[in-house]
Amino acid sequence: MTGSLAGRRLVLLVPTLLGVVTLVFAFLHLVPGDPVEIMLGETAAPADVAALRRDLGLDRPLPAQYARFLVRAARGDLGQSIAFRTSVTRAVAGRYPATLELAGAAFILALGMALPLGIAAALRPGSAVDRSVRLASLAGACLPGFWLGPLLILLFSLRLGWLPVSGRGGLAHLVLPATTLGLGMSAILVRLVRTSMIVALGEDYVRSARAKGAPEWRVIAVHALRNALLPVTTVAGLQAGALLAGAIITETIFAWPGLGRLLVQAIDARDYPLVQGCVLAIGLTYVGVNTATDLLHRAIDPRLRDAR
Amino acid sequence: MRLAALAALSGMLAACGEAPVPPAGLVLALQSDPHSLDPRFGTDANAARLADLLHVALTRPDAAARRRPDLAASWEVRDPLTIVFRLRSDFHFADGARVEANDVRATYLAVLDPALASPKRAALAVLSSIDAPDPTTVVMHLREPHAPFLDATGLGILPAARARDRGEVTVGAGPFRVVRAERGERIVLEPNPGYPGGPPSLHPLVVRIVPDEVVQVLELARGGVQLIEDAPEPEMVEWLARYPHLVVRRSPGTSVHYLAFNFRDPHLARRRVREAIALALDRDALVRFILGGAARPASGLLAPEHWAYTPLPTRRRDLARARRLLDRAGYPDPDGAGPLPRFRLIYKTSNQPGRRRLAEAIQAALAQVGIALEVRTYEWGTLFADVRSGNFQLCALAWVGIGDPDLYYLAFHSTMHPPAGYNRGGYASPVMDRLTESGRRELDLERRRVIYARVQRRAARDLPVVPLWWEDRIVVQSRRLRGFEPSPDGDLHGLTRAWMEAGDAARAPDGPPEELNAQ
Repeated sequence: MTGSLAGRRLVLLVPTLLGVVTLVFAFLHLVPGDPVEIMLGETAAPADVAALRRDLGLDRPLPAQYARFLVRAARGDLGQSIAFRTSVTRAVAGRYPATLELAGAAFILALGMALPLGIAAALRPGSAVDRSVRLASLAGACLPGFWLGPLLILLFSLRLGWLPVSGRGGLAHLVLPATTLGLGMSAILVRLVRTSMIVALGEDYVRSARAKGAPEWRVIAVHALRNALLPVTTVAGLQAGALLAGAIITETIFAWPGLGRLLVQAIDARDYPLVQGCVLAIGLTYVGVNTATDLLHRAIDPRLRDAR
Repeated sequence: MRLAALAALSGMLAACGEAPVPPAGLVLALQSDPHSLDPRFGTDANAARLADLLHVALTRPDAAARRRPDLAASWEVRDPLTIVFRLRSDFHFADGARVEANDVRATYLAVLDPALASPKRAALAVLSSIDAPDPTTVVMHLREPHAPFLDATGLGILPAARARDRGEVTVGAGPFRVVRAERGERIVLEPNPGYPGGPPSLHPLVVRIVPDEVVQVLELARGGVQLIEDAPEPEMVEWLARYPHLVVRRSPGTSVHYLAFNFRDPHLARRRVREAIALALDRDALVRFILGGAARPASGLLAPEHWAYTPLPTRRRDLARARRLLDRAGYPDPDGAGPLPRFRLIYKTSNQPGRRRLAEAIQAALAQVGIALEVRTYEWGTLFADVRSGNFQLCALAWVGIGDPDLYYLAFHSTMHPPAGYNRGGYASPVMDRLTESGRRELDLERRRVIYARVQRRAARDLPVVPLWWEDRIVVQSRRLRGFEPSPDGDLHGLTRAWMEAGDAARAPDGPPEELNAQ
């Protein structure tokens, strides 16, 4: 059943990515700005401009350019970056690990904070712990990354001197950008975990488990949490995709050499093939994460495994 | 106890990072990744800065924008169509091979080859052929007498065997060579051991790409970066000046900011209207409040340091005269001091914060003489496309790194509309055409100076643009960095003979630039 689900999702992947790429292609060509003029400079000879435009296939009608891009992409060839004069696949592959590292760390951090805090708040609703967690999560959800990032740098790098300001290096370099990126997601998940746990802890099966004498940790971790995790995984999956979009700002603040910054540079230079390559990579990741979320859902909830 | 544990944890985290830069090394921050480290392809400002460190060219500009010998020990204009360069024999590529005339010839021919699609090709269009009769002589033949051609001899030289490679070639004979280029993150350079006069002392020179201005400033404060050449916002400069390990150095710059008019607009085609706009602006106040005083009000495009500069009076703010000029231009104020404007204009600018502030200041100034300005902000690529296609009325732009005064031909000659040149506003004057044509044909420097004095006076009279200010260069550097002289156009060649002093040097750095925190 899981295999057929993965197959169905893979089939759906094609029209989804086609839609994304088509929209990006259309919008990008609607925006003013010419990559050849940006590349050759303002005073390039018209003959040189025409020759390069011909080389890059930009002299063809838009539908022809679009068809050419699709045919090449189907063969795994995303073309050449106009601005960086290198293959788009190589440029994207060079930056992708950094974005994955940042988004992955932010995701783990967000879940690592949301689960214990959400559970702690749910165990004693209305207590001081619950109120503090709710207040902190509200604040976390309201702080934009472009403000939070420099604030964290001021505190942890300049005032305390514990962490580097920016750049990608080891674990130390990852802490502040991952916190900046993951805090907003964590704030949303804390509230969701809390609510789901409160509902789950009030269910009959929890009362039954307690009546049977199950230890409290088992009641919470096995009986309540497993059921409470269903909505959490759905939202976490969607949020993981959003982390990739949020990474654009965080990567700029922390000088993190990821896909988001490459995308911004590509848009500035009207580097059409590179923009399409970046968006394709982000789209693939988004769809991949959501497929993984669906599979996880089925692993957690046996009822879904049997559903057609 | 908890603090000690946290400190220990942070130590462990830091240990997981990459090795710190050695004491003799320097970390420099740039805001954007250079598109290429190859002199045949790089056209953005940061590519030019790094090309200067990696490659040697026949000539390089001095502070007055005159060409000075670099790889060429000397040159001789044998006749108006022939220039002979005598090369030095002590330059070596980073791989140890000597730089010879054949390398120069191969590099120039490669750039001229349309198949390579080099953006530098247009600048060499006047070059008809190039000979290398012996290893230290290069002879260039031009199609026509063309004084600005020497500017094109700033092209970095590649080894002949690599000159036609379609991929990026970074092997050069400049003071540094590339060790590692992690695009979007950092470029690590080390001294070129074969550099004449001995390799540079900075070892390594790390160029970090830090796009956010605030983070650049925080890195400087923390010590993760030791030099920035792109001036941050004035209030951040003041904040940095308080750090004892940093020095903020200010020196006159050559970048000029100006207000451009579109002559196709019926209002702006009238000289009186353009002059009224120039008179409505208080440039001293703009410099003081928008740039924190870090600029000089400009009288023309060329800064006073430029060899072709001619002193001209700067128009001071005169609202009464501006209003009279608008009346005489046929635009009387419909309701005196009332809210109705004489006419409306659209001002296009980029969405950069400083640009938006300037737009608001100009809007307020023009409102005082009865011109209603609608400000529209755009992302840079969109704005530039509009400006190039003449789809604007008013906009503010800047010229960075002005070399030969032939810029006046490219910007103001009536045939130089994009894509041929930079005359985006459609200005046309037979006098300006004649003068700028003779300026590019004349090879004698003194006679050219006379011609360009007339060109500048004509531009000040006709006002195809209103020069606003020459922006100062503000460099923030570690107090340990010694021997570095910031250049007026922001190139990094001064790092060739710079070094890092050991320990916490308390002395101020050398050099004439004004120090904001020297006391």
